Amino acid sequence: MWFLWAVIERSGSLRGWAEDRAADQAALARMARGEGDAVAELYDRHARPIYSLAIRILGDATEAEDVVQEVFAQAWRQASRYSASRGAVAAWLLTLARSRAIDRLRARRARPGGLSDDRMATQLPDSGPPADSQVLSSEHVARVRAALDELPLLQRAAIELAYFEGLTHAEIADRLEQPLGTVKTRIRLAMLKLRDVLAGTV
Amino acid sequence: MAMNAPEHNELREQAELYVLGALPPGERQAFEAHLASCPECAAHVKSLSPVTEALAHVAPQHDPPPALRARVLRSVSGSPVKSAPVPPPIRTSSSAMLPWLAAAASLILAAALGVYSASLRSRIGALELRLQEATERAAAGEVQLADLRRVSTDAQSQLAILVAPDLQRIDLQGQPQAPQASARAFWSRSRGLVFTASNLPAVPPGKTYQLWVLTKQPAPISAGLFKPDPQGRVSARFETPADLPQPIGMAVTIEPDGGVPSPTGDKYLVGL
Repeated sequence: MWFLWAVIERSGSLRGWAEDRAADQAALARMARGEGDAVAELYDRHARPIYSLAIRILGDATEAEDVVQEVFAQAWRQASRYSASRGAVAAWLLTLARSRAIDRLRARRARPGGLSDDRMATQLPDSGPPADSQVLSSEHVARVRAALDELPLLQRAAIELAYFEGLTHAEIADRLEQPLGTVKTRIRLAMLKLRDVLAGTV
Repeated sequence: MAMNAPEHNELREQAELYVLGALPPGERQAFEAHLASCPECAAHVKSLSPVTEALAHVAPQHDPPPALRARVLRSVSGSPVKSAPVPPPIRTSSSAMLPWLAAAASLILAAALGVYSASLRSRIGALELRLQEATERAAAGEVQLADLRRVSTDAQSQLAILVAPDLQRIDLQGQPQAPQASARAFWSRSRGLVFTASNLPAVPPGKTYQLWVLTKQPAPISAGLFKPDPQGRVSARFETPADLPQPIGMAVTIEPDGGVPSPTGDKYLVGL
């Protein structure tokens, strides 16, 4: 019980997201009209999770700051093209943050040895979340965090290598020295488990 | 439903990998093409999207440095962002009335302030009470969190080893003393050693298992001591020195409690 409290407290930045969702859409519309103040509003609501995700991926505060700046610059440029039907602005910003951070991670990995073109082509698309993406409550996040902790170690490692390091299934199999088929199965099982936990059916 | 059944059966299992971004570009494009014509897969992908949204939030949260805000705002608008909007000036109908109006206004203001400060006092009282409750709750929560952190630290560091870029794996086989036993060690120079074993015989009183790292040096180097659970299983993490010579194998022997500087007892597991 206390654990849940602690987790919910930690993800406090998520509280009130449902109410903030309409305000986010409004801020984005103002950005599309060139109103710089609207960026400040989005920044104050979402910079913390964006910065935290970038730190988790890059392990480097300075680079994470650059990612935050890039995300808001990109949101500023693309605000007019963003359609409200595409889903929560917060989820879109985090998708941008993950893409930018993983691009940097890949560039960093490529630096020592040089890089083939097809690796570069894995650059993540910036498609936003699906049209009717749900706004996640802090409770949802707490559930996923707890469920991740309960996953078998290799399932969790596979999920984290894919999501936070942007590795493909084959790269994950290499890293964990597991057969490719096993890795795919682990990822499927873990994702389905997390989905069910989120949906509250477990 | 116009979907290609063999294609569907082959591709449906890629939805989880797709959502997680773990498909290489060719497979991703093929899956996206299929997605456009397969409502079932599209619905499945949609059902998974909350997972990736939640994953974005499970990272430990950090406050961005205060200076970053100004930097971001400068970079998007090209100029400092306006502070709070300035209220429009109050217009007066007649300048002759001004002193009287001012006097009347200050009386009204004084009365209003009296009422306002009384209500503020009671609000402050209520807020102080809530603050005290919240502080107590936070203190209790911190104690619990500290306990949980201790428990989770070990699992976290095992995970850190498993995802280390310089991970090396060594499989150990049971020796005549323990033919059923088997073990696997994951070692990373930067992050340490994870050791898991199963079917180990129970240790007699006064004895312990000791794990040895075999290197090109003649003497094995002790990695640490462990005891299996009643089912003969072990999952343990050991620190290894940064200057440890490259391991070429590992071995487990049974030794007196407290361990020994170099192996003396029977070998139970060996991996090269």
